[in-house]
Amino acid sequence: MTRHIEEITLDSLLPRVFSREELPYSQVWRRKVSFRRGARYLVESASGGGKSSLASFIMGARRDYEGKILFDGRDAAMFSIADWQELRRTNIAYLPQELGLFPEFSAIDNILLKGEICGDVDMKRVDSWMERLGITSRRDYPAGKLSIGQQQRVALIRSLCQPFDFILLDEPVSHLDEANNRLAARIVEEEAGRQGAAIITFSVGNPLLIDNPEKLTL
Amino acid sequence: MGLISKLLRKNTSPARLAGFALSNFIGLLIIGGAVMFYIDSRSIWGDDESVINTDYLVVNKKVTSASTLGDRESTWFSEEDMADLRAQPWVRRVGEFSSSDFRVYASVNQGGRGMETALFFESVPDSFVDVAAADWRFEPGQTIVPVMIPKEYLALYNFGFAGSAGLPQLSEQLISGIPLKLYMRSEDGTRSMQMEGRIAGFSNRLNTVLVPDSFMQYANSRLGADGSVAPSRLIIDVSSPGDVAIADYLSSHGWEVAGDKSGSSAAYLLKLVVGIVMAVGAVITLLSLFVLMLSMSLLMEKNRSVNHRLLMLGAPLRKVGAPYDAMIWVGCGAAWVLSVGALLALRSLYAGALEGLGDTSDGLLWGLGVSTLLALIVVGVNILSVGRKIQSAWGLRIGDAG
Repeated sequence: MTRHIEEITLDSLLPRVFSREELPYSQVWRRKVSFRRGARYLVESASGGGKSSLASFIMGARRDYEGKILFDGRDAAMFSIADWQELRRTNIAYLPQELGLFPEFSAIDNILLKGEICGDVDMKRVDSWMERLGITSRRDYPAGKLSIGQQQRVALIRSLCQPFDFILLDEPVSHLDEANNRLAARIVEEEAGRQGAAIITFSVGNPLLIDNPEKLTL
Repeated sequence: MGLISKLLRKNTSPARLAGFALSNFIGLLIIGGAVMFYIDSRSIWGDDESVINTDYLVVNKKVTSASTLGDRESTWFSEEDMADLRAQPWVRRVGEFSSSDFRVYASVNQGGRGMETALFFESVPDSFVDVAAADWRFEPGQTIVPVMIPKEYLALYNFGFAGSAGLPQLSEQLISGIPLKLYMRSEDGTRSMQMEGRIAGFSNRLNTVLVPDSFMQYANSRLGADGSVAPSRLIIDVSSPGDVAIADYLSSHGWEVAGDKSGSSAAYLLKLVVGIVMAVGAVITLLSLFVLMLSMSLLMEKNRSVNHRLLMLGAPLRKVGAPYDAMIWVGCGAAWVLSVGALLALRSLYAGALEGLGDTSDGLLWGLGVSTLLALIVVGVNILSVGRKIQSAWGLRIGDAG
């Protein structure tokens, strides 16, 4: 499945935990929303609004929802495990809020590991990203010994090291200052632009500062 | 080694894997060894099987002083005896011995030196004699009679008689080729018959000189004294030689088992012991299987969140499973290699005793085959269970994300 995915559509989607609750106003839940390849989105919510749930649903990690998620019209509920793994390697990059780093591995090994799964990593690009984000000196440190902000930057670089049509970034800069936030945003925009991919970033109040995103409130 | 393997092996316990390999090795060795020993030793116990099946018992009534004084009927089996015997659950078939009702003299003439002896004949139904049918047949008009003699007779001759009498020792092949002159005459001396005998086989278990049943009927009708006699020996095909019920039944009736019955009891005992040993081996193998499953489970439970994170990055299931599978192969492979070595060593311990029994590589092949099959089963079961665990790690559970 080297073909691109052009559109992710959420059709009347709702986390099952919300199904009996009175929902506040939402532009996503119980509506029909489409994310298109090449566009930029900022999904904002209050804490507990279900943004991490939404990311997990789209990534196939959780299925406790009502409604449908469609990838170019294909119902995600019908995907096999192998389909999901393929999708994760070639279509959708994901930076979870918990980062998902392997703490005993060095920063660079965390990134190289991704290469083992998704194909070769362009080391020149990785080196320049590390340089720009100021973590080159932490390259060979175990990820677990880095500060949360440094870990976020390592995990961000790792999430970029794969082919993707959409990149989902869940609170990617919660521990970064504004200067680093802007640097990270430029890098994500460059790589997404290079691949023609969409950026979907989630935030409860400290969003990644990408240019002119389409805003959606959960 | 790839980074994924490096990551997943972090929690491995070499001691646990070694513990598994050791217990699996012991299990494989015991089962493989038991199978090997059983198959190998069959060629010893089953020595006589080609002629007289080991499941046959020959019984007779005890000879008492009364029999000596002329009451021959005390050693005969009556109709009631036979009916009762046939009703026993361990009896498959019963055959009667018929004995010659005439005198027999046999002589051998070899290179000018002759030897003559008085002899007797007995016969059992042909279905109890497993000699090729063509060799064990008599039709009126035939001048050659096939004869079967006990191996001991030949031994007696070779080691007891030949030496003291200055006669040459004879091999089985040689004696089978020597024509035996048979002179038979009725009790009253009025009728007689001359024929040629040929040794058709040697028996360990039938302590008699055996001729085909058809010849016995023919000769008795021509030379016999006409008075029909009840059989005094029976041959019984039993379903489980060595069964205690058989010994009980025989001793309670005062009957004796003729010939070498220790062979069948020993074979029965051997089967029993091998069976017990194999069961112990099976239990140990089963336990080792669970030890491996348990330690793999434990490892995968510890690694669950790592597995999950790898899967979230898109790693294929088989790539995540590969390092675990490799561990299973290494553990089982080590156990298997050790068991093969130990089986070879074990066999060399008793290989000397098997020399001369012809092709005896069967036991080794069976032993190796069984232990290989078991090792593969252990590998298969564990790889399946690893696959299931990884599938379950694919789904999210609290704590997986971190």
